[in-house]
Amino acid sequence: MTGNDALALGALHAGVKVVAGYPGTPSTGALASLLALNPPGVHVEWSINEKVAFEVAAGAAWAGQRALCTMKMAGLNVAWDSVISIAYSGTVGGLVIYVADDPGVSAGMAEQDSRGFAIMSDLPMLDPSSPDEIYRLTRVAFDLSEKTGSPVFVRLVTANCSSYSVVNVDDNPPVWPEREAVLIHDIEKFTKAGSAICMSQHRDLIARLDKAGHVIAEAGLNPLQLGKQGGLGIVAAGMVDSYLDQGFEIASRFGFNPKEASLLHLKAVHPFPTERVQALLRHCNTILVLEELEPHIEKGIYVEAHRLGFAGKVVGKLNGVFGRIGEYGVSHVVKGIGAALELQTPPDLFPGKTDAEKLAAARPITVCAGCPHRGTFMAINTAIRKAGFKKNQVMVTGDIGCTILGMNPPFNTVSTEVSMGASLGIAQGYVRGGVKTPVIATIGDSTFYHAGIPGLLNAVQHQTPLTIVILDNGWTSMTGMQVNPGTDEKYQQPGDTRLDIAKIIPALGIDQFWIVNPFDLDETTKVIQNALKLPGVKVVLARQECSMPAKRRGLEAGQVKVVAENCNLCNLCVILTGCPAITLGQDAITIDHDLCYGCGLCATTCNLEAILVEEATA
Amino acid sequence: MTHYPSQRTEHMTRITYDIYLVGVGGQGVLSIGELIAETAFRKGIPVSFYPTKGMAQRGGFVKAQLRLGRTTIGPAIPERGADMVIATEVSEALKAVRYIKPSGDFVLFGHVWAPTAVMLGKAPYPTLDEVLGAARDAVSAGGRVHYIPPDSLPRYEDAPVPDNIFTLAIALKQTCLGDLLPAADVEQAVRTRWKRGVERNLFAFQAGLSVPLGEVVAR
Repeated sequence: MTGNDALALGALHAGVKVVAGYPGTPSTGALASLLALNPPGVHVEWSINEKVAFEVAAGAAWAGQRALCTMKMAGLNVAWDSVISIAYSGTVGGLVIYVADDPGVSAGMAEQDSRGFAIMSDLPMLDPSSPDEIYRLTRVAFDLSEKTGSPVFVRLVTANCSSYSVVNVDDNPPVWPEREAVLIHDIEKFTKAGSAICMSQHRDLIARLDKAGHVIAEAGLNPLQLGKQGGLGIVAAGMVDSYLDQGFEIASRFGFNPKEASLLHLKAVHPFPTERVQALLRHCNTILVLEELEPHIEKGIYVEAHRLGFAGKVVGKLNGVFGRIGEYGVSHVVKGIGAALELQTPPDLFPGKTDAEKLAAARPITVCAGCPHRGTFMAINTAIRKAGFKKNQVMVTGDIGCTILGMNPPFNTVSTEVSMGASLGIAQGYVRGGVKTPVIATIGDSTFYHAGIPGLLNAVQHQTPLTIVILDNGWTSMTGMQVNPGTDEKYQQPGDTRLDIAKIIPALGIDQFWIVNPFDLDETTKVIQNALKLPGVKVVLARQECSMPAKRRGLEAGQVKVVAENCNLCNLCVILTGCPAITLGQDAITIDHDLCYGCGLCATTCNLEAILVEEATA
Repeated sequence: MTHYPSQRTEHMTRITYDIYLVGVGGQGVLSIGELIAETAFRKGIPVSFYPTKGMAQRGGFVKAQLRLGRTTIGPAIPERGADMVIATEVSEALKAVRYIKPSGDFVLFGHVWAPTAVMLGKAPYPTLDEVLGAARDAVSAGGRVHYIPPDSLPRYEDAPVPDNIFTLAIALKQTCLGDLLPAADVEQAVRTRWKRGVERNLFAFQAGLSVPLGEVVAR
């Protein structure tokens, strides 16, 4: 199973009662796998955003239950306001925050090191390496949380949450008796009214972290093996630990003796393992620190080295051996040992040569065949042109999710991507900053619910002239088609209900509001072009279901046929749509009917009637 | 979630084998990885499988890393560490070149999936010779490059068979991967992996196995 699966199962075997999260690569799989398991008596939900998800989990934990919330690192930023406050209050039932970082950026986000957030919030953080360890430590996290009264972070990275390996699952996990919800009315603990309360909570927070340090030490979560006195000590934090064995095999070919090295395997990265580090410093004369991204542990080691009067050297990022960018692997272990022991390793061991890769064809990602956003991007581009502007005279802000693919060819429509919902605020800033041409904000449906609504309210209150295009495909598609508040009633969880954007917009006092079908290119273009001319806040809801779930249900928008004798291979259809279902044949274009959804956008680009569309009759 | 029975991993095999897979989303690259991982797991060989796909459903770069035979191992294969590369697209094969061992087997199925800009003649695409040359340079210490021409893909009932299964079978037959994972076991995984098209998939698999030894070595 994957690390995400292991985390989900670990939480389940720890008696979790409430699970809330928001999808975000690479963390999505954990909650998704719990939803698929549908365990009886456990509430699992995709919440509207990470802040709400965390609050749902925390409220359940305050009522005495074990609760988990899941998110990617960017989501932790969204939840942060509540995390700090709830860190001060502590918890009653076990409360675990699962956050996934992405060193090496496989998903397109900041290389944020969430360990820094554990430091800032004074919350304990576990940082397991393999899926097997993830399963085990997730269970430990709930115990640690209840023993200390503190929320606990479990931090994974892409390499362990998305990779599959064998997990030794407890065949007889404990049966957790149903807990009666408790109501604790304690304003000293659960409010922040007054400096005395806050400072007392701050004291409690520090005491809880201190206690967590003792619990972690007693449980032996950070194993220390001492090797040769006065030799090399290696500190491996989190994921890197799993690369030691192979790194040692390779380094031993060049004079390294693994038996002589002292090893500190850090699985609990916060609070700082002071005693373990001191023991290592007392025993060794050189310390190698292996940690991805920021040198958090390394800096702590320098502090302890200073306190102990350690005279040896510390090898890591701060002495320039490693950088702060990208993920670590076997080569870092070997390189670190080489630098620490001044070994002679051949330069071509890991040459880092990328000459071959540089020859590879660029493969910019674009929207799928049948994606309704294709029509919206094409319409925005045409509307801008027909309104009398050149493309570079108009700012179209973008947002998170599939809608950002409008930044790529062939559309080159959107120019900014910041954070969930930011397209709206940034666009208002361009207007207030003095941009005289129309400003357009684009945002997807899930992103709109997540954090777009406050930005829209701001525009309405201040009557900021702005055209907002909401690309509503009914699913949270980028992360794998999760259900969001706007998804069709049929796919909502039992007892859940649908919240229609088409009802929200008028309720916000916006009367310049149109709903269009992005497969109807002429109409969509006309509506956007008209909106660009009008004053005030205008909202265009471009609505059409994501073709992926629709196709899986056997639906298609229509049937597209190529009339080969009419095609002169002008390529306009490819140039304007970039549709992956179209390829250039010998005498005419060809359409891959397995891929084609029949949206017909290609036909609208053809001047020669070489592409015909028959509408679906179903 | 795939639920495997809990398994004791005391059975340590001394053989380790790392495979780096690259291709384009939609080619079934990840299915090759799943078939190998599944077979290894059934045989009690410790396995780590690390698929990485981009955001697009289809047409984006896809890679996967398989590490067989180690109980404690991170999922990423170091540079010059892969015993085998399986590439299912010509240009994407270049992204695996630095991971092949100088003594490794580099298997390339020669499909060309041209990005739109290439199709329109606006962007370059590497030549097959460039790609094979880069792969050959990388396997300078006794390794081999196996090139499978796309037109060698056999047909079953008037349609080409799945290239991923054909390529996997060739890789098993032509290299020592087949010693670690017997073809019959992989065939069983193919048989149970997909409900539909079993006959066609097995035909592809058998066709790959029947390619004579050394036939696809690119010289």
